[in-house]
Amino acid sequence: MTHARAFLALAAVFLVAISLMAMASPASAATRFVFANESNYDTLDPHAAFDVGRVAVRLNLYDGLYRWRDNPAVLQPWLAESHTVSADGLTYTFKLRQGAKFHDGAEVRAEDVRWSAERILALKKGAASLLATMIAPNSTKALDKHTVQFTLTKPAAIFLAAVPEVHVVNSALLNKHEKDGDWGGAWLTTNDAGSGSYQLSRYDPVIGFIAKRFAGHFMPWGPKYIDEIEFRHIKEDNTRVLGMIKGDYQGTGGYLPIDQVKRLRDAPNVKIVEQESMRIMMFQINNQRPPFNDVNVRRAISYAFDYDGFNKDILSGSVERNPVPIPNNLWGVPKDVKGYSYDLDKAKQELAKAKAKVDRPITVAYLTGFSQTEQAATVMANGLRKLGLETKLTSELWPTMVDKMKKPETSPDLVVYWISTYYADPHNWIGEMFHSGQWGTFKASCFYKNPRVDELLDVALKSTDRKVREKAYQDAARIVVEEAGGVWIYNTKYFGPWAKNLEGIRFSPIGNGQEMRWVYYQ
Amino acid sequence: MRILALLLRRLAWFIPTLLGLLAITFVISRVIPGDPVALIAGDTATPAQVEALRRQLGLDRPLPVQFVTYVTQLVRGDMGTSLYTTRPIADDLASRLPATIELTLAAMAFSILIGIPLGVVSALWRNSVLDHVLRVITVSGLAIASFWLGIMLQLLFAMRLGWTPLNGRLQGFPPTTVTGLYLVDSVLAWDWTAFSMALTHLALPAATLAFPALATLVRFTRAGVLDVMQSNSVLYEHAMGLPRSVIVWKYILRNALTSTVTQIGLLFGILLAGAVVTETVFDWPGIGTYAVNSIIRSDYNGVMGFTVWAGAIFMIVNVLVDIAQGFIDPRARPS
Repeated sequence: MTHARAFLALAAVFLVAISLMAMASPASAATRFVFANESNYDTLDPHAAFDVGRVAVRLNLYDGLYRWRDNPAVLQPWLAESHTVSADGLTYTFKLRQGAKFHDGAEVRAEDVRWSAERILALKKGAASLLATMIAPNSTKALDKHTVQFTLTKPAAIFLAAVPEVHVVNSALLNKHEKDGDWGGAWLTTNDAGSGSYQLSRYDPVIGFIAKRFAGHFMPWGPKYIDEIEFRHIKEDNTRVLGMIKGDYQGTGGYLPIDQVKRLRDAPNVKIVEQESMRIMMFQINNQRPPFNDVNVRRAISYAFDYDGFNKDILSGSVERNPVPIPNNLWGVPKDVKGYSYDLDKAKQELAKAKAKVDRPITVAYLTGFSQTEQAATVMANGLRKLGLETKLTSELWPTMVDKMKKPETSPDLVVYWISTYYADPHNWIGEMFHSGQWGTFKASCFYKNPRVDELLDVALKSTDRKVREKAYQDAARIVVEEAGGVWIYNTKYFGPWAKNLEGIRFSPIGNGQEMRWVYYQ
Repeated sequence: MRILALLLRRLAWFIPTLLGLLAITFVISRVIPGDPVALIAGDTATPAQVEALRRQLGLDRPLPVQFVTYVTQLVRGDMGTSLYTTRPIADDLASRLPATIELTLAAMAFSILIGIPLGVVSALWRNSVLDHVLRVITVSGLAIASFWLGIMLQLLFAMRLGWTPLNGRLQGFPPTTVTGLYLVDSVLAWDWTAFSMALTHLALPAATLAFPALATLVRFTRAGVLDVMQSNSVLYEHAMGLPRSVIVWKYILRNALTSTVTQIGLLFGILLAGAVVTETVFDWPGIGTYAVNSIIRSDYNGVMGFTVWAGAIFMIVNVLVDIAQGFIDPRARPS
């Protein structure tokens, strides 16, 4: 009896202890996710950056009126319920959904949207350069608490595509922290003034940020979600890959070298999400500098690059050939255009037809720190040497290269890099690369000029009729390819490493799957 | 009073030296190719938009005007705002300072605790096998480039043996920040997992940074000890029958350390202001990495901020070394 009592007492103590432990550690049930990011999070200001490297801040802490989602990317109403466009294509009126709240509990109002647009234009950073081509300061109006109206300076069919970049900030909160007319800039670099699915709980510019689920987000949460997300800057590919294999991280960027992707494929706890992205690698040919102002010389260069060899031998077949200046998986691509192939005989014929003679070494430039651009430049130089042309390989850091590419006089003969997705519209590629009005920006460093192409791109930019736009882009692409304005190599594939037990990852070429509200553990 | 006079004299030199340093860095950072304004304006910015932002940032004004504006701001204690991080430079530097201090302290502790005893041993057994071996090591320490040594250590200890992490300062966020020194903060938070993680992260960069410093200390201590050993005072101490350990570690070492202390001070300054290479190799988030990133991004204010920091550190350390020398060796006190 004594033993039985003692046993019962012990069992009771044990049960109480277990219950207390369970009550004391509710955090153990909370789900956590760590993403190892190759770029650092120098600033949390959603209006100061427009790059893919820091997109997690914008997608998780902030909301816009519309949001790009999935692949092919589709625009979804987000803070806005709907919108209307005036007949002349100049006025866009957005109706905001009711009940959306900022992280401090304040309601998201039309005035916040207006203030955010003005803030972007005033700071002149991030997406300002894109928006400033369409809207002027003080032209946006909050018609009532839930209606905001943008009036464009000229018709621009890409306006809606750019609207997701107007990340809405809490104007009342930022006004409180405003200092010397900085629009709350100094404060916002390290703080959160958003309404996004997650709210900031810790930030260190050197390390990254931690955010907790915002239960009050306007978009209802599903039955499963991640409670806490952490985005950490881990510079080295190898460290990120090792961390994924060891289970320290549950996600990392999807543009790793292919040998690292192979290592991750072998890891039992990692899965690779494979998607065709929208990121074209290309050589910009300086069309204004002799002898590259001769179309036959440009065509010869286009025939001299070993596209298949580069893909198969160097990139292990990890990319898709993209022969035109629009990503294969986007509308506006002329499907009948096959582009150029590696054909040295044709290249020689083109050189023979050329009026201009190539009597000096061709400068082939690539980006310091991006080994794949060096490999591409070497493949190009190899092809050109087989044609008997001398080459000179040079490399520059990106800031220096951007500086050089402002003018035809300083831009290299050939320079290779990628054109990424800032918004999923053909204008992001062919429009910004081959309209002569774009000269001076890095995308337009071909310095291509053809009045007919300008005309077609203007039509495509102004029209709100998708069919008209599509035909105009197709026609423009045919001409640019025919005239070998540049050398388009491939469209990138995304090989996103994620923990095997994660579900709900929604890849989009704009967000690269880093919008975490959809993701959960099995 | 004499020390005060020394301080004032040094301070009088401090300002023109810093101004000269600033002027040189200012000109160099602006004449090298690269346009930070184009970068922060964004990839899609037109030349007109870039120019508008340049005007807004005041970078369109003549260089002398920009320089005077910068120095005026600096006098008011404002180091400007980073073009890239958009935060005040002082905040950026302050957030990275603890990492550099922790690394420097670890490297200095390592090199002092090992370097000075080795220097003494090397002198006591002069021309022995041990002395020759130490000479080879110290010459290597001075000759081997730290970026090479760092990479070799990474290959061996992180990649092959897997004993240490490859780079970085910690996995994730540190315990609650008190001092910013992760080892100290993790002890204060009683977080031993964080402590051991911080220690393993610190080991390789500290060893890389310590190696040349250690070599310098061994050589200076050895030379100092040899010099003092031949003096009459040591002969007298031997004649008095003092134990050898007392003679060596109390009398010889104290007299021999004058030049070593100078070196420790200078090394500390060098490491604190310029562990640029080691920090870059190990992706150590300190002042050195910040300087490199600022240079790469042509972040003018970042580069200038680093220059002010490095220049000030060197000058302060020089004064402190002079004062410390005076305490150790009365002959070195300012007259």
